[in-house]
Amino acid sequence: MTSVTLNPADFTRRSPVYRELRDAGARFVESFGGAIAEDFMESAEAEAKSAAGLALADLSLLPHFGFKGRETVDWLRSQGVDVGDQDNVAYRQEDGVLAAKLAPREVLLIADIVGRSDLCARLADSASIEEEVEAFPVPRGDGYFWFLVLGESAPAMFAKICGVDLRSSSFGELEIAQTSVARMNVVIVRCDLGETPAYHVLGDVASASYLWACLLDAMEEFDGRLIGHGAIRHLAGL
Amino acid sequence: MTGRNRLSAPAGKLIDRDQPLTFKFEGQLIDGYAGDTIASALAANDVWVLSRSFKYRRPRGALTMAGQDANTLVQLPGRPNVPADLEPISDGLDASGQNYEGSLTRDRGVWIGWLHRFLPVGFYYKAFYKPRGAWKFWAPFIRAKAGLGRVSEDAPHGYYDKEYRFADVAVVGGGPAGLSAALTAADAGADVILIDENPQLGGALNYARFDAAGAVAGQECERLVNAVLSHNNIDVMSSTVANGWFADNFLSLIRGNRMFKLRAKEVVLATGAMEQPAVFRNNDLPRVMMGSAAQRFIHLYGVCPGTRAIVLAANDDAYGVALDLADAGIDIVVIADLRERPDAGPLSAAVQEKGWRIETGCTVSEALAGEGSRSVQGAVLSRIDGKGIAGGGETLTCDLICMSVGYAPVGQLPCHDGGQLRLDPVSSTFVLENLPDHGHAAGSVSGTHSLDAVVAEGARAGWRAARASGFDVGDEPEVPDARGAEGCNHNWPIFPHVNGKDFVDFDEDLQVQDILNACADGYDDIELVKRYSTVGMGPSQGRHSALNTVRLVTDATGRSLDEAKPTTVRPPYTAETFGVLAGRVFEPVRYTPMHHRHLEAGAQMMVAGPWMRPAYYGAPDVRDQAIRDEVAAVRIGVGVLDVSTLGGIEIRGPDAAEFLNRMYTFAYARQPVGRSRYLMMCDETGAIVDDGVTCRFHERHFYVTTTSSGASNVYREMLWWNAQWRLATDISDVTNAYAAVSLAGPQTRKVLDQLTEDIDLSLEAFPYMDVRTGHVAGIPARLLRIGFVGELGFEIHVPSSQGEALWDALMSAGEQFDIRPFGLEAQRVLRLEKGHVIIGQDTDGLTFPAEANMTWAISRKKPFFVGGRANQVHESRPLLRKLVGFAIDDPKAPVPEECHLTLQGNDIVGRVTSAARSEALGRIIGLAYVAPSQAETGATFPIKIGTNRFLEATVVPVPFYDPDNMRQEM
Repeated sequence: MTSVTLNPADFTRRSPVYRELRDAGARFVESFGGAIAEDFMESAEAEAKSAAGLALADLSLLPHFGFKGRETVDWLRSQGVDVGDQDNVAYRQEDGVLAAKLAPREVLLIADIVGRSDLCARLADSASIEEEVEAFPVPRGDGYFWFLVLGESAPAMFAKICGVDLRSSSFGELEIAQTSVARMNVVIVRCDLGETPAYHVLGDVASASYLWACLLDAMEEFDGRLIGHGAIRHLAGL
Repeated sequence: MTGRNRLSAPAGKLIDRDQPLTFKFEGQLIDGYAGDTIASALAANDVWVLSRSFKYRRPRGALTMAGQDANTLVQLPGRPNVPADLEPISDGLDASGQNYEGSLTRDRGVWIGWLHRFLPVGFYYKAFYKPRGAWKFWAPFIRAKAGLGRVSEDAPHGYYDKEYRFADVAVVGGGPAGLSAALTAADAGADVILIDENPQLGGALNYARFDAAGAVAGQECERLVNAVLSHNNIDVMSSTVANGWFADNFLSLIRGNRMFKLRAKEVVLATGAMEQPAVFRNNDLPRVMMGSAAQRFIHLYGVCPGTRAIVLAANDDAYGVALDLADAGIDIVVIADLRERPDAGPLSAAVQEKGWRIETGCTVSEALAGEGSRSVQGAVLSRIDGKGIAGGGETLTCDLICMSVGYAPVGQLPCHDGGQLRLDPVSSTFVLENLPDHGHAAGSVSGTHSLDAVVAEGARAGWRAARASGFDVGDEPEVPDARGAEGCNHNWPIFPHVNGKDFVDFDEDLQVQDILNACADGYDDIELVKRYSTVGMGPSQGRHSALNTVRLVTDATGRSLDEAKPTTVRPPYTAETFGVLAGRVFEPVRYTPMHHRHLEAGAQMMVAGPWMRPAYYGAPDVRDQAIRDEVAAVRIGVGVLDVSTLGGIEIRGPDAAEFLNRMYTFAYARQPVGRSRYLMMCDETGAIVDDGVTCRFHERHFYVTTTSSGASNVYREMLWWNAQWRLATDISDVTNAYAAVSLAGPQTRKVLDQLTEDIDLSLEAFPYMDVRTGHVAGIPARLLRIGFVGELGFEIHVPSSQGEALWDALMSAGEQFDIRPFGLEAQRVLRLEKGHVIIGQDTDGLTFPAEANMTWAISRKKPFFVGGRANQVHESRPLLRKLVGFAIDDPKAPVPEECHLTLQGNDIVGRVTSAARSEALGRIIGLAYVAPSQAETGATFPIKIGTNRFLEATVVPVPFYDPDNMRQEM
């Protein structure tokens, strides 16, 4: 593990919470057109181990993209995306991308956990207003922050700031909750990393710093901590 | 061992004798053990007076040892009214009594009690309302004399928060019924939350005596508690009080500084029953207590509550109390049984064998006070000669009187959601009726007192709850017929004394005669008696006064016992702090991507709707100069304003133009691609509600901007309307996806030229009101050639993740042109000079376009737009007010403020909506509503700026600045 780090402000794309990550001691590496927090000066194994309890990571620079419109689902299917009929369910693609069906006419694509898939970018390029298809791209990658909350204590932590029962017994793998967390609207998608419960939290990027602080505050009781992308890859077995 | 009254183990199951602690009470150091409450530790050290009563300042001590009464409320630093019999001690704790002058033991205000004959119920209303204004004189005096603890304004802020919980079955009460219910439900597979307000599970099993040997309770407690604690399906929440039961089984729970909001499919109420006091003279003295309180002292805290005790009995449990007292080494002076012929229960049988003195058909008619009424030194034992009649008798020496004359169910919770308590003439206690849907009751709260039946009833309630939750259950558990429901309560444990001090309500110092006087004054309904006398309105909310009050009122008014009910029970069950109610405050705030750049540049931020925006850049003491400099920078050089807060909505699809035609007042069907156009939105009443700009990037694609504060409303309105119109249009709110800046000033093009390669910025190629897409500083961007501030300008919209990079690039490229960020205050001056209105500031909720001179933004050719018909009606009527530009040329005149009134004669005709001193124009300018007859250019009107202070304003044409728009279209 190296201690060399990059300055996120040297890149054009910047996470909405890069200052918070920097102040928490993150080591940044270049990825997804910006600088992402690779670790917090600990090995990926150590950080991953601590995530078993409760951890928070920022994935905001990873690809995530939305589609809306009355032909959205048919069009995505025509593009090879597996989207089922049921709403509020995330459909996992072969390459790990999640197609989160938020409504009959709205799908949010969120990248595989390490962002290897080019599906989001490919679909964003394919969706053109010239096509006369009513499946319109929505730039959620810029509009939504993307945080990942992991660990056994995640449901208990969420219980302090969210009125939806997110315990494993009630909120299963690949289920979606479009709800309020700390009084702001968010989308929560559960997609575990191996044995570790994992909740993707996406919401208004303008309030990213606000929610980040709320999450850290709520996590304190459970000794929650920040982890980097290295730990996430480790948990994902990659 | 700490304290002279401390008993040896195994007494004191809650205290840890290996952890001695020291705290202060009334400035004196007191020793105790971890697990002690303030009251138990004080009692162990022979301190029995905890506080003073609300009205007569009478010394009070522990009554229930269960936190159910107001006698034990003490003051902690920053925390008034803390129940001493619940609050655990800790090293350094500093507690004191309440409501006294001087010292707790020698209160200088005790004389108020001597006047009790002159202070009957209702005396406030009778004595202090005349002459007019008398109450104002008396109120401070009365309020200083009466009261509870004191709120400290210096109390430190605590951290309070809230938490949601969910369960198939919530069991409230961790006694034998609750434990049994939880186990049965959990065994069936239900997800169970068990709530108990005490630190330890077991309820009465921890202190009460159920058999002569005193062994059953402990054995049953161990069996049930161990099973519960080891059960994976049961989540135990001890030290947690269930404070409210609301619709659909929504329970509010409080533990420490946290409120839990529990939603349960089924609720089992197993809250038990509270012992009720007998009423006799001086029944409020310290060490006159419930029998169960004495048992709690002994078994929970290892404290011996006296040396010579009289037990006032009306049920078999009283004999259990006597046995426990004797086991603790206390002499039993007499057991005074109110019953003429007591039932032969197992406990009374055991006492009979001891040979102690038992007097049946007798009562304590008076407790004899020790010095200063701070203790009991004896009692008068009297024969009961009739209902409530007991005079004369034998004086006995004792230092402890235990009352065990009956119970009332702890049934307040279900009454929050429709449940009802009713006095049952047979059992002489309240019975609980009309439980909420999906609610079940078990144990002594439902009148069952036999331990076997209580446990069985708990199991049955748990079984029913699990079944109703959808779990597969076996056969319904059986409950024995013998519930022990009768014979627990005496029907009239009330013995008024000719000299009073026979308290019905300890909280409010209300005596028997007070209740009777209330009835005599005509308040013949229990609810009216409550309000007139304040009975049941103190901190304990009638837990120990309701039953006896109902008895007295029913008797005094000649009503039937069948109709008798207590007063309405409302949440909360116990007092809760404002901190708990407020909890962790969540106030979402929105920051633009450039927020930190503004802070680094010294911006003073202001709240603008949900956003934080720069007001101006510079220290507050140079505010005005900073704003002038920012205005000048835009007029002379180049300025940059963060407009990321503007709403951004994509309108796409075949019907996009038609949709905009309906939503907005202007015409958009023929808006060319690559052009922008002003937008004005009205509501159905024709009032202006928002404005912005629409950019057409494709025949089927418009990008609409809205006001910063109106974005979410506009989006919601759009969705609402199109849900009805069903046009082939998709509406997407992309406000947060784009960062945007307004680059304005004569040098704008020179700055932007350095950063763009794929967009020709020349006037010819990119004229005013055109829009383009391309790149700025390598960042994909939408450029809008528009100007709100009246100078050459571009709005640049880029992906929000790159907004800060755009800002950095612009500031760097503009450095040679002295680029300057400007804030909302400068923008307001700049746009005012151009005469542009701000929706919401220059308009209100009733302003329609003709009033604001904005009919130019209405297309008359299209058949419909929202608010169109209303505007036709408005325009067919004479105007009542009109928005005009005005100027004040007096260089010494103050700048009018927004909402200063405009007058016509003595009539108010409007208000100032915007005003500023314009450096560019050398005078004060503004916008104001005036009467239509005052709206001609050159007309004058007065503005009232204070009491008898007026300014004369002259109507002038707008725009004030650059009326030919030469500067913005250059």
